[in-house]
Amino acid sequence: MLDRELKKGSAELLILSLVQDRPRHGYDIGQLIELRSRGTLRFNIASLYPLLYRLEKRGWIRGRWVEKAGQRRRRYYRLTSAGKKILAAQRDGWREFVEAISLITGIQHA
Amino acid sequence: MPDFKEEIRKRLVALNLAPTRENEIVEELSQHLEDHYEQSLRTGVSGDEAYDAALNELRASDLSGPLKQIERRVQQEPVVIGRDGNANLLSDLWQDLRYGLRMLAKNPGFAAVAVIALALGIGANSAIFSVVNTVLLRPLPYKNPERLVMVWEENSKQGFPRDTPSPANFIDWRDQNHVFESMAAIVEASFNLTGAGDPERIDGHGVSAGLFSLLGVEPQLGRAFRSEEDKPGGSHVVIISYGLWQRRFGSDPGIIGNPINLNGKSFIVVGVMPRTFQFPTRKDQLWVPLAFDAKEAGQRGSHYLEVIARIKPGVTLQQAQAEMTTIATRLQQQYPETNTSIGAVVTPLHEQVVGDIKPALLVLLGAVAFVLLIACANVANLLLARAAVRQKEIALRLALGAGRARLIRQFLTESVLLAALGGGIGLLLAVVGLSVLKRFIPPNISQAQAITIDAKVLIFTVLVSILTGLIFGLAPATHAANFNLNDTLKESGRDSAAGSRGNRIRGLLVISEVAVSFILLIGAGLLINSFLHLRNVDPGFRAERALTMKIVLPEPRYADKEQRGVFYRELIRRVETLPGVSSAAVATNLPLTESGNSVGVSIEGHADPAPDRVPIVITRIISPRYFETMGIPLLKGRAFTEEDKSESESPSVIVVSETTARSFWPGEDALGKHIKVGSPSNNDNKWLTVIGVVKDVRQFELVVEPKPQMYLPFTQANFFEPRALVVKTNLEPLSLAATVRKTVWEIDKDQPVSDIASMEHIVSESVARQRFSMLLLGIFAGLALVLAAVGIYGVMSYSVAQRTHEIGIRMALGAQKKDVLKLTIGQGLKLVLIGVAIGLGAAFILTRVIASLLFGVSATDPITFVAISLVLIGVAMLASLIPALRAMKVDPMFALRYQ
Repeated sequence: MLDRELKKGSAELLILSLVQDRPRHGYDIGQLIELRSRGTLRFNIASLYPLLYRLEKRGWIRGRWVEKAGQRRRRYYRLTSAGKKILAAQRDGWREFVEAISLITGIQHA
Repeated sequence: MPDFKEEIRKRLVALNLAPTRENEIVEELSQHLEDHYEQSLRTGVSGDEAYDAALNELRASDLSGPLKQIERRVQQEPVVIGRDGNANLLSDLWQDLRYGLRMLAKNPGFAAVAVIALALGIGANSAIFSVVNTVLLRPLPYKNPERLVMVWEENSKQGFPRDTPSPANFIDWRDQNHVFESMAAIVEASFNLTGAGDPERIDGHGVSAGLFSLLGVEPQLGRAFRSEEDKPGGSHVVIISYGLWQRRFGSDPGIIGNPINLNGKSFIVVGVMPRTFQFPTRKDQLWVPLAFDAKEAGQRGSHYLEVIARIKPGVTLQQAQAEMTTIATRLQQQYPETNTSIGAVVTPLHEQVVGDIKPALLVLLGAVAFVLLIACANVANLLLARAAVRQKEIALRLALGAGRARLIRQFLTESVLLAALGGGIGLLLAVVGLSVLKRFIPPNISQAQAITIDAKVLIFTVLVSILTGLIFGLAPATHAANFNLNDTLKESGRDSAAGSRGNRIRGLLVISEVAVSFILLIGAGLLINSFLHLRNVDPGFRAERALTMKIVLPEPRYADKEQRGVFYRELIRRVETLPGVSSAAVATNLPLTESGNSVGVSIEGHADPAPDRVPIVITRIISPRYFETMGIPLLKGRAFTEEDKSESESPSVIVVSETTARSFWPGEDALGKHIKVGSPSNNDNKWLTVIGVVKDVRQFELVVEPKPQMYLPFTQANFFEPRALVVKTNLEPLSLAATVRKTVWEIDKDQPVSDIASMEHIVSESVARQRFSMLLLGIFAGLALVLAAVGIYGVMSYSVAQRTHEIGIRMALGAQKKDVLKLTIGQGLKLVLIGVAIGLGAAFILTRVIASLLFGVSATDPITFVAISLVLIGVAMLASLIPALRAMKVDPMFALRYQ
C-alpha cells in the first residue's frame, strides 16, 4: 500500500530515483524530470526546492556545496543509506498500487 | 548576469529564518534562476525576455508557503540526538519529561484512556493495600506485640479446637508455667450504666489485675488495677475508655476517685485509658477486675475465659506451646473427670485478631494486582498502537543517529509519566474507595476504623506506579529498540504500520488480558455462587418483620428468676398490645449473634458416656410464643404456654430440635423422653420431659451445620437469663423501636435498651465477611472484564483499520460481507479462546487459594467454569463485533482510493 506522503504526489519517488546513481543539483533534477517525462511533469522553483529540503530534513537525501575549478559552487544532492531503503520501499509500494489499479480497471502494463 | 537574490530574499522575509539558512536558500535558488536565464538565452531570446521568463517562474507560485511548512516543522520538532555514555542524564530526563508531556497534551484522548485505566488499577491496589497495611501489617497497639499470645483449651474431640479455658485450668497454667512473663484472663461483661443521662448498656470485660501491664499500656489518667482489687470482697473499681470518658463524663479529670453506677452498684473510677487503646475489641468501653471467688476459682468444667499471655524474651512460640502441652497433659491425669482430652494451644495474638479476614485480604490483594496487570496490558496496547503511528518519528530519530538506549529511555520516561499521572488519580480514587470500603469491612475486624492512607501506602503507590510504568512501557520500548529501520521503512511504505511483530505482541497482550480476567471472573463467580448458597441456607427461622433488642436486667434489682419473670411477662404483655405487633418473646440469645450457651446433658436410659463424650446441647431459655415470634416451625408436640410455670408448680419440660431428637433417640419418638442437665453422676438436677420438637436453627453461623439444641421455659431455668426481646410485627420493624423502648422505660425507667436491630439485619451481618469478599472480588472481576473488553475492542479496531485496504481488495475480488465478518470475528475469537484456555488451566490451580472462602461450591465448580467461559467469550465477541461491522461496511473503491 502506498505511503501517505507518496499519495500527495509521486514527487518524492521521482527525486529519490534521480539522485540514486549520482549527486545532482536542483536545476539538474528539475530539468531531468521534465525531459524524461517528455514534458508531462514539471516542477517549478516553489515546488521543487521545498521538496528537496523536506527530503533532506528526513535524512533521505543529503545536500553538499561542491566547488569545482572555474565554476560557482553548487549544491549537489545525493541519496543517503536511509534514502536507499525508502526508495526501495516506495518503488515496491508504487508497483503494488499500480498492480492493484490494473486488477480493478483492467489496464495492463505496456 | 541579472541578480535574482533580492527578488528571492523578498519572498523569504516572512519566514523569519536563521540568517545562514536564509543565505543558503537564496544562493541556491538564485543559481536555479540563473541557470534558467542562461538556458533561455541559449534558445536565442533577448536578455530581457530571458530575465522575465526566469522571474516568472518565481512569480508563478507561492514560495514561502511550502517552505514555511518544512522549515517551521523542522524547527518545532526537537530532535533528540543520541549521545554516548551517561553524560547529561539529568538534562536528558528533563528533556524527555517535557517531550512526554507534550506528546500527552497532543493526544488528550489517548492520555485520558490510559490514565483512567491506570488510575483504576493503581487506585484499587492502594485501597486494598491500605486495608492490608492496617489490618495485617501494622503491629497491634501494645508494647512488643509480637510477644503477646492467646492460650486456649484444645478440645478437638468435641469439636472445639480452640475452646475458652475454665478458671481452674487458667490458674494452674498461670502458676505452673515458666515460659510466660505474665498471663491474664478476661471475660465478657456488660453493664447497665445509670445516673446522669439515659440508662445505657455498656460492653466491657472483667480482667485480671495484671492485664494492662501485660499489654504494656498505662491508663492516661489515674492508675491500673491493684492485685488486691482482683479478689472477692475487694472494693468495686472500674477503668473506663477514653471514648466513654469523653462522651458520658465530658472529659472531666475529676472523675478519678468518683463513683459511677453500674448494674445498680457503685464503682469507683480509678483510671481512664488512652484514646488509642482498645482491648479486646473497640466495642469495649470499661474494664473491671475479674475477682474470682473460691467457687469460681475451682471451676474446671465450665469454660468461659479468654487467656492472654506475654512470652518471656528469648522463649519461642514452640517452646511455649511445648510447655503448655506438658502442663495440660499433667492436668488431664490429675483431673480425668473434667480434663480428659483437654490440651492447650498457644496462638499469636496477631493471628487471633486477623485470622478470619487474612485469607480474604490476601486473595483481594492478588486480585487487584491482576486488575493492574490487565490495565498495564491495555495501556501497553495503546502505546504500541501509538508507537506504530510514531514510526516515522522513530525512524527519523534513528536515522539522525539517536541511540537505541536513548530511545528506550525516552519511551520509558513517557510510560512512567503516564503511570505517575494514573497513580496520582488512583490515590484519589483510593481515598474515595476506602471510605466506601470501610462500610463493608466486617465489624469484628478491630482495626477497621483505623484504616488510613499513611506514608507506607504512599510509598507503596509510588513504587507500584513506577513499576507499572516500567512494565507496560517495556513492550513498546523494546519494540522501538528492536526497530529494524530497513523493515520499518519498507513496511511503512506499505502502511502495515506496526508490522507483524507489533501484531504479535498485541495478540499476546490480548491473550494474557483474557486469561487473567478469566481467573478473576472465576474467583468472583465462585464467591458469588457460594454467597448465593449461603443466602439460600434455611436458617430454621423466619427473619422477616422481626424487631430485636437487648435488655439485660441488672442483678441487684432483679436478683432471682421470679423478679425477672414479673418484668418479662409485663413487658411481653404490654408490647403485644402495641398496634402492629402480632407477638413478642424473650430469649437468652438470638440466632446468628455468635453467642449463646451450651450445656452437657445426660439422656435417661443411656449408659454413662466417657467424660469427653458427654453430649453437648445448645441451650436457649425462652418465653412462650418464642417459636411463633421467630417463625421456627413446630414439628411435633407442643410449644411452651403460660401454663408451664415454675418447677414447683408444674412439670419440668423442654422442647428439642430435630437433630437432638434424631441423634439422642434414633428411630424413636422423642416426645415424653427425658434428659437432664449435667453429667450422669450429678444427680441434683431434675429430669426434663420433651414436650415438643422444632426445626433445627442455625444458631452461630449460617455456614455451620446445626448441632443438637434444646429450649427451656424461662419460668423453670435458673442458670441463664433471657437478654433478648423479639417482636413480630406487620410494620417495618425499626419503626416500632422507639415505642418498644418507651414501653420498657414505662416499666423500669433505669433499664437500658441496646443493640436494636431487625432480625434481617442480624442475618445479613452474620454473612458480612462473605459479602465483603464477594463484593470486592466481584467489583475487581467486573473491572477486569471491562478492561479486557476495551483491550480486545482496541486491538480489533486497530487491526480492522490496518486491513481496510486488504479487506477492500478481498471484497473487490468477490468476498461477501459475511466472509469479512467471519474473518474479523474469527481473528478476535482465536485470541480469546487461547486466553480462555490458558485462564482455565491457571484457574484450576489458583482457585484452590480461595477454597477456604467457599461454601457449598467446590473450587473447581464446573457450572461456574462453563458459565464464566461463556460470559467471557460472549463479551469478547461483542467487543470484536463493532470493529467487524465496520469492516463489513468497507467500500472497496474507497479502500483502494483511500491509500
